[in-house]
Amino acid sequence: MTDTKTWARVKSPWVLHFNAGACNGCDIEIVALLTPKYDVERFGIKLEPSPRHADVLLVTGAVTHQCAERLKRVYDQMPQPKFVVAIGACACSGGVFEGNYSVLGGVDKVIPVTAYIPGCPPRPEAIIDGVVKLLNALNPPKIKKQKAEDKPDVTPAIEEVNVDVKQ
Amino acid sequence: MSNSDLDLISLVESKFGDKIQVQRNLLGAAAITANNGLHHDVVKALLEADEKTGVTSITGLDLGANLGVYYHIHTSKPFITIKAEVPKANPAIKTLIDIHPGAAFHEKEVADLVGVIFEGHATPGHFVLPETWPEGVFPLRKDVKATEVKPVPTPEREANVLPENQRLVKIIIGPQHPALLEPEKFSVTVEGETVTKVDPRIGYVHRGIEKSAESRTYLQDVYLVERVCGICNPCHAYGFVGAVEKILKADVPERAQYLRVIALELNRIHSHLLTLGHAGLEIGYETIFQYFWRDREPIMDLIELTSGNRVYGSLITIGGVRRDLNSTDIPKLKEGMKNLRNQLPFYNKIYREESTLRLRMVEVGVMSREDAIKLSVVGPVARGSNYDTDIRKDIPYEAYGEIPFKEIVYNTGDVWARMNVRLDEVEESINIIDYALDHLPSGPIKVDLPRAVPTGEAVCSLEAPRGELFYYVRSNGTDMPERVKIRTPTFANIPSFLKSAIGESIADVPSNFVSLDPCFSCTDR
Repeated sequence: MTDTKTWARVKSPWVLHFNAGACNGCDIEIVALLTPKYDVERFGIKLEPSPRHADVLLVTGAVTHQCAERLKRVYDQMPQPKFVVAIGACACSGGVFEGNYSVLGGVDKVIPVTAYIPGCPPRPEAIIDGVVKLLNALNPPKIKKQKAEDKPDVTPAIEEVNVDVKQ
Repeated sequence: MSNSDLDLISLVESKFGDKIQVQRNLLGAAAITANNGLHHDVVKALLEADEKTGVTSITGLDLGANLGVYYHIHTSKPFITIKAEVPKANPAIKTLIDIHPGAAFHEKEVADLVGVIFEGHATPGHFVLPETWPEGVFPLRKDVKATEVKPVPTPEREANVLPENQRLVKIIIGPQHPALLEPEKFSVTVEGETVTKVDPRIGYVHRGIEKSAESRTYLQDVYLVERVCGICNPCHAYGFVGAVEKILKADVPERAQYLRVIALELNRIHSHLLTLGHAGLEIGYETIFQYFWRDREPIMDLIELTSGNRVYGSLITIGGVRRDLNSTDIPKLKEGMKNLRNQLPFYNKIYREESTLRLRMVEVGVMSREDAIKLSVVGPVARGSNYDTDIRKDIPYEAYGEIPFKEIVYNTGDVWARMNVRLDEVEESINIIDYALDHLPSGPIKVDLPRAVPTGEAVCSLEAPRGELFYYVRSNGTDMPERVKIRTPTFANIPSFLKSAIGESIADVPSNFVSLDPCFSCTDR
């Protein structure tokens, strides 16, 4: 049952996008991911409008004081297990706005972050790479087992080669 | 300057005589000092003399013992700044909303950030600052160390049923909402399905850029102001750079001027394609969203080719541009323009004839020309209401004076007109880029300018994709500016939505709203 759940989670993560005071640079790149050139639906990734249905929260922006409470509430509304990806230099550390009176400077000041994708803004390829790395890090046991089963097919060939060399 | 420009200023001069001081060719066509409540009378005289007069922006400044309130006024031709000062001890000044409702948002902002009290215009609570910001602390005053301000507890959440009238229901859109890419809150009061009132709460993306620009050098500020907005960043860079170059009295090489025009027009194309697609998404027509964004990607590649990056290329810098176009880039640009031009008849057909799209757009969010002028609306929103305002034509900057292009104006004033203005402007932008590439002058792309800027002040207006973008920069002789004021197009356009949404169905709110091409990171700064 756990295997099935993990399989479903990795093959079809629903993501929620929250802008916590970003300049739109990262946000537009996230939307560009859904369009024909990048098309993240091939990874089963779907942009979901409601926090209650989302697995992954993509946060952009340096987190303004005004947004911080809302960001916490959106995070609390998401079901377990949940993952947070901080996208862009601002979300990672405050970026160019670090130290401004109106920003907290980084998503991890408010909620725990699973993955950081730096860049101003990160290229769409970098965002895909980050999200896919996160999915791989969920450590699906089924995929590992498959690799272990695959091994016997490969090893005899290597042994044969070794034997050849010895002779 | 033409004769009509002089007339309007001479008229004010003759009417008020010694009571005001006029300095010509400063902060636009003239800077008029009008203290003791005279600013109200001067604006009134201008409004009566020229139907297109409106308030572009109000800048609040900390001048030591006094607070400066600068009214930046646009008329049909010259740009005029009216300077007034009020003592810090009693910072009260007469409001302009009784004669020009378009000044309301600007006054609220100055009241919130600088602490000027506008007599006759109540501004309770915070406008752009967070709810947790203490009352009576104004971040743009020089004596306030904004980072040391302690936040106060947040007030309680608002109820969505109004107790006094059970028939009215408040529907809160935002700050996290699928239709809004950015966090901003609109409380829509509805009776049945009809919208009766819209209350905006902006400031969710307020990052305090104007304050932090004061503690960075001019060159660092170019990179900072670009990050006001990730969509129209070359426009912000140019607005700031243009104002600084005016203080420095710099002559930018001709080739750089043309390269700037190419960068600004590529930006306009990508921004318009983005909005035209996004509008499809909002009205539930996702196919058109995918089509427009597919065709936007080659433009992003061209932006990367010319500036070095998809989004923040930082091409425009003080004194010129950072990168030149070489002989292999120009054919690629031309090819890209040709491909996009071939797509346009298809999009024109969809936007003009597709019945589902017309049902959601025609006669929705109608705004009359009178309202557009009264609310000082800018850009495609104004041009959709038959209000011909385009800074590229009115006050040509860079190479726009030499390049022929049409100003697109529609007269129906609805969502459909605003989107068609954008679609036609994409074609004009392609023409401008083609012309600029054909007539690209040779020569240097940058002049070296000193890092410290002499004492002075300047304004710079330009036509960003969403409308007029306005910058005011004041220098004090060091390498850091004393004040940078940014007035963005969406900030000027939100009042038009608040008005045109009333009396319409709640279902039309998203399509009406997206027709402004809203950009809240610009609005809040």
